[in-house]
Amino acid sequence: MTGTVAVLVFPGTNSEDETLRAVRAVGLEGELVHWSQPEKLARFDAYILPGGFAYEDRIRAGAVAAHDALMDPVIEAAQAGKYVLGICNGAQILAEAGLVPGTGPLRRPTAAFAPNASGRFQSVHVHVRLAVDPGRVPILAGIEPGAVIPAWASHGDGRLAAPEAELARIERDGHLAFVYCDRDGNPVAAPNGSALSCAGLVNAEGNVLAVMPHPERDAWTFQHLDATRDAVRGNTEETLAPSGGIVFFEAFARAVLAEAIA
Amino acid sequence: MTQTFAVTLTIPDNEAFTAFETLARLGIPVARVVRADIWLFVVDAPAGDLTATISSIETIHNPNKHRLLARDSDRPAPGEVWIASRDEARVTLVGGRAIPGVRAIRRRTAWRLLDDSGRDIAPADLERAVETFLCNPAFQVAITA
Repeated sequence: MTGTVAVLVFPGTNSEDETLRAVRAVGLEGELVHWSQPEKLARFDAYILPGGFAYEDRIRAGAVAAHDALMDPVIEAAQAGKYVLGICNGAQILAEAGLVPGTGPLRRPTAAFAPNASGRFQSVHVHVRLAVDPGRVPILAGIEPGAVIPAWASHGDGRLAAPEAELARIERDGHLAFVYCDRDGNPVAAPNGSALSCAGLVNAEGNVLAVMPHPERDAWTFQHLDATRDAVRGNTEETLAPSGGIVFFEAFARAVLAEAIA
Repeated sequence: MTQTFAVTLTIPDNEAFTAFETLARLGIPVARVVRADIWLFVVDAPAGDLTATISSIETIHNPNKHRLLARDSDRPAPGEVWIASRDEARVTLVGGRAIPGVRAIRRRTAWRLLDDSGRDIAPADLERAVETFLCNPAFQVAITA
């Protein structure tokens, strides 16, 4: 029994292949589903919205894709309790669709991954710390509470922004899934100026997760920040070993497989 | 005081077309979408040559594809909505350079939604377009005339 995962592709998505590779590496059956194929989506067990620039980020990052027909079955599946994961641009789409933090009506966002405080696109290696009880979020179950995961933050619009009352609700009600930290898990200022140092949001039901940094870009040793150093040291045989961010996908796979068997 | 400029595309505006398609999908009775970048320059005194200065800054105005128009007001025209960031940082540079006499620069996106007669759509429809798509109130604000 394998879990089936649809990796959605909008015009402008650019991280579908590495996401699909991570999905397959952890034993899931993944398939790319393009924006013209919404009818294919219903049969999948779970959905991933990968990174990129859907519709060139026109109007706002994620706004057009959130209203795309491809999102109709995803929203329906999310409401039925299926797992939905958004990474980077996928996270922006989930926020614009109102699926995270999920505190308002659908497609009426209560929060946003807004332009970085720097006003610039930033690409930087980061660590994020699990900030939510993994027991509440099946996608994250099996990851140690407070676990630190390496990833690459690569975005121009990754700053959590919301009215003060909504930020308080996000923190109080456990919608804060990941926060930026150093490699030891100590708090650091978010590189993008994100409120609450937020790197990821989850809905109340725990089945929709949005993360801004890319764990799929730090899933093998050769992608790791130290890859160059390791290569110089002659550890090239280790460069294809699973590393860092793959932990995230292993947890996702456990949840999807458990649901598929059930 | 503030000097206001609108920059529109003279080539097809793909962003406006994408907005049109999404708004139509949402059931907004719109036949044409017109978009403009609004630049507000806070100046100490009327700067007579500001138009000439900014028309030479390609970050704002590329003569191969843009039209630059001075506006009389720092408010939207009737039928128009401006979208602004709630927490915009104070900006004094554009394209990495300061403009003499300019103390602050603010940006807006102006939207105008027209029906098939070329008239502005009804205010209630414009409000619905803003609430459902054009503005994310989590970090943006919509400004109307």
